[in-house]
Amino acid sequence: MRRIALRRIAILAAGLIAALSPVAATGQSMTPMRGEVRSFTDAFAVRVFPGNPYNQRIRVEVHVYDQDFQPVAARITPSAFLLAGQASRPVLVVVPFDGANERKVRICTESIPFPSEQTQIRAQICGKFFGHRRF
Amino acid sequence: MKFARAAMAAGLLAGCAGQTASAATGNVLFNGTITATCTITINSNGTMTVSSNLQSLSSHNAGGSAGSAQVDTTGGVSLSVDPVTTTTVPASDTTATTWTPTFATSGAQTIAETGTATALTVPGTSTVAVNLAGTKSGTNRFSAGNYQATVTLRCE
Repeated sequence: MRRIALRRIAILAAGLIAALSPVAATGQSMTPMRGEVRSFTDAFAVRVFPGNPYNQRIRVEVHVYDQDFQPVAARITPSAFLLAGQASRPVLVVVPFDGANERKVRICTESIPFPSEQTQIRAQICGKFFGHRRF
Repeated sequence: MKFARAAMAAGLLAGCAGQTASAATGNVLFNGTITATCTITINSNGTMTVSSNLQSLSSHNAGGSAGSAQVDTTGGVSLSVDPVTTTTVPASDTTATTWTPTFATSGAQTIAETGTATALTVPGTSTVAVNLAGTKSGTNRFSAGNYQATVTLRCE
């Protein structure tokens, strides 16, 4: 029980380290875009702030990929949501090390393209994050 | 008596004239760090038209138009397009199509049309033109109906 509590605290602390340095600003698609996190558990946490640069509400999805753009089984809270115009909101991403001592991932914010057009453009902003595991 | 007071005041003034003020000075430092940021705003989607030989469906063809996006960045990021994986084609089109997305930028930084990831080093606002070309080879032809494809424009 105590071990689980310590683990949660460590994940939260790691997330706060990543989240406290940058400040979310309106109009940015995602911040931060770079980060290095040290974790004492088998996962590391990053808090990112997807932003909506438009004046209207859009649907945003957050995905995590490895260096080869293969999906990573990370816990994303929330992973899909509607975002008001000119707004941003925090998203917590917990990435497992999967037995490795360090892991590089891309956390990507994707906007859903406008419908009913022949060639749609999907905007994707990806941040690169480096997690180190400390024992 | 009046003369004595004036003489004393004059003496004090003369004594202080050569002295420096005792106020201390110090420097206050200001630091600021700007991390890489990137904002993509889609201005418009593109339109593809078919070529006269029916083997090219492209935004480059006559009557077609490129999609447009605006990228605001501090620099230190790269721009790329993903291979097209999401397409909708008419049921009558059963042959293979090769989709080639490309992009070019103007404004803060000019990038000639390319399909490979390119660094955005200049801070500012750039306008991105996104093009898509579908091609068929051999005897294959595009058929009547609605085509739709999604291009992912990535800033990382």
